[in-house]
Amino acid sequence: MIDLQDIQKTFNKGRPNEYVAVRRVSLKVEPQLVTVLKGPSGSGKTTLLSLLGCMTRPTSGRIFLDGREITSLPERFLTEIRRRTYGFIFQQFNLVKGITVLENVMLPAYPTGERRAVLRDRAMELLELFSMAHKAPSKVEWLSGGESQRVAIARALINDPGYVIADEPTAHLDTALSREFMEIVATLKGRGKTIVMASHDPIVCSEGLVDRIVEVRDGSLVSDGPHR
Amino acid sequence: MSAVERHRNILDFTLASLMRRKGKNSALIVVYTLVVFVLASALFFTQAIRREAGLVLTDAPELVVQRLVAGRHDLIPTAYLEKIRDIRGVTGARSRLWGYYYDATVGANYTLEVPLEAPPPEGSVIVGEGLARTSGAAVDSLMPFRTTRGEITTFAVSKILPSDSSLVSADLVLLSEKDFREMFGVDRAHATDLAVTVRNKKEIPVIARKIAEALPDTRTISRDEILRTYDAVFSWRGGIMLALLAGAVLAFVIFAWDRAAGLSAEERKEIGILKAIGWETSDVLLMKFWEGVAVSLTAFLLGIVAAYVHVFFASAGLFEPVLKGWSVLYPRFRLVPFIDFPQVAALFFLTVVPYTVATVIPSWRAATVDPDAVMRG
Repeated sequence: MIDLQDIQKTFNKGRPNEYVAVRRVSLKVEPQLVTVLKGPSGSGKTTLLSLLGCMTRPTSGRIFLDGREITSLPERFLTEIRRRTYGFIFQQFNLVKGITVLENVMLPAYPTGERRAVLRDRAMELLELFSMAHKAPSKVEWLSGGESQRVAIARALINDPGYVIADEPTAHLDTALSREFMEIVATLKGRGKTIVMASHDPIVCSEGLVDRIVEVRDGSLVSDGPHR
Repeated sequence: MSAVERHRNILDFTLASLMRRKGKNSALIVVYTLVVFVLASALFFTQAIRREAGLVLTDAPELVVQRLVAGRHDLIPTAYLEKIRDIRGVTGARSRLWGYYYDATVGANYTLEVPLEAPPPEGSVIVGEGLARTSGAAVDSLMPFRTTRGEITTFAVSKILPSDSSLVSADLVLLSEKDFREMFGVDRAHATDLAVTVRNKKEIPVIARKIAEALPDTRTISRDEILRTYDAVFSWRGGIMLALLAGAVLAFVIFAWDRAAGLSAEERKEIGILKAIGWETSDVLLMKFWEGVAVSLTAFLLGIVAAYVHVFFASAGLFEPVLKGWSVLYPRFRLVPFIDFPQVAALFFLTVVPYTVATVIPSWRAATVDPDAVMRG
């Protein structure tokens, strides 16, 4: 479980352009559920996701991961946690251009020092799971939007993380591909993953498999409750 | 899981990354290789030629006595030998006969010499490998020479010298004393110079002074003095080379610094992605380190090999006008391969290390940024 306690995140603190992105938010993300952070652009969803995923440190407040406080851990430990615990799916997919689909999927695991052959097998399994095995040797810039996203999902899962964090995952997808994405989310949920998504897409928010919707506005939580 | 695998994985990715910017990186490697090639060529050439000069002189006598007439080298009376042998500390003194001969048909200068040990029989010569090549002389063939009286005399080639050191033997013609004297019209009472050996090397300056006192029309040249002169000449020539190259090297340094130090927006974004997906700052730096090493080491090795071939197999053709150029050295001679490893190591540290550092430092700045920047596109 991820537990945010009284979290505040201020950018450019002390400067004329100081900006508070998240204001005194407390939130518990339950394991093995699908949680959606819903809200308009600039509401603080992405910052909240970054805080949940150890990508950035809060200005104040405390963060606990599975009961262990991680707020002020040094960068090296945070990276290790990020690598082992979280898989990230970015809005822009953020695949590394010029290298193959397979290499992109294996990339997060390179620093772990696992044998290349083992990594390769695992990456191919994931690509097969998302029907992308035939594209393994292709360069990522040749992929369509839906294909790019499936590669990004496979990459997020290469280190077998407990949590999958997705920022506006359907923003660049049409309706059919968005529904396809939600089917993948259902698969992940079925595999026991905890999923946190930031989205204001009705296809995501109205989906039956979403367990909880947290509404964010101006950096604060407006409503928090089970999906109806 | 191991550190070796980690390095291997990251190195694999680095190489794949480099291949993505093939054009840019190839251009960089070409320019880099060229700079290493030029520097290493100058280095190899001066080192090898200095070593050859040293080799030439290993068998040289400790002291050479020459007679001067009006400040110029002249034939020395062999009667001087007795006076020199009488000086305490001198173990031996012998007369030497040597000179130069210009062969108009080949357009080259030869060094003619009467060897102190085992001279060839009268009417025959032993020739250097370079000379044999240029004049087309082979064993048993006849070589014509014009004597000082204007007559043509021929010698049979009895042997071609092995080329242990081409510089020494390339232009050499060894002949008997009688043939030498007849050819150049040198009477038996004179020689080209006198070679003196001494018992104790520390006494050389004292003996040189005593010779100068006993024979005021002579000068003495010690082996160390010749070595120092060679050294100074080649250092000076090498220095001139490097001064000429300094501009090119500086331009390369600016180019390489700009290329290595300036991260493009794309590279910056990539570092952000790697951090976001779980790469540590040290992993990113390791990748950049390998990138710097791959580029600079490739260029270094290519440059060194090209320089080696250029100097030792192609007679340093590009530098001939500057580095060669006195009558003892000939257009087509091949240096005996010799590498001074400390100097190559110095070149390595002056090329590979700065480039690698220049690659890593800007990435370190980019890699310490919070990975959430990538979330914001």
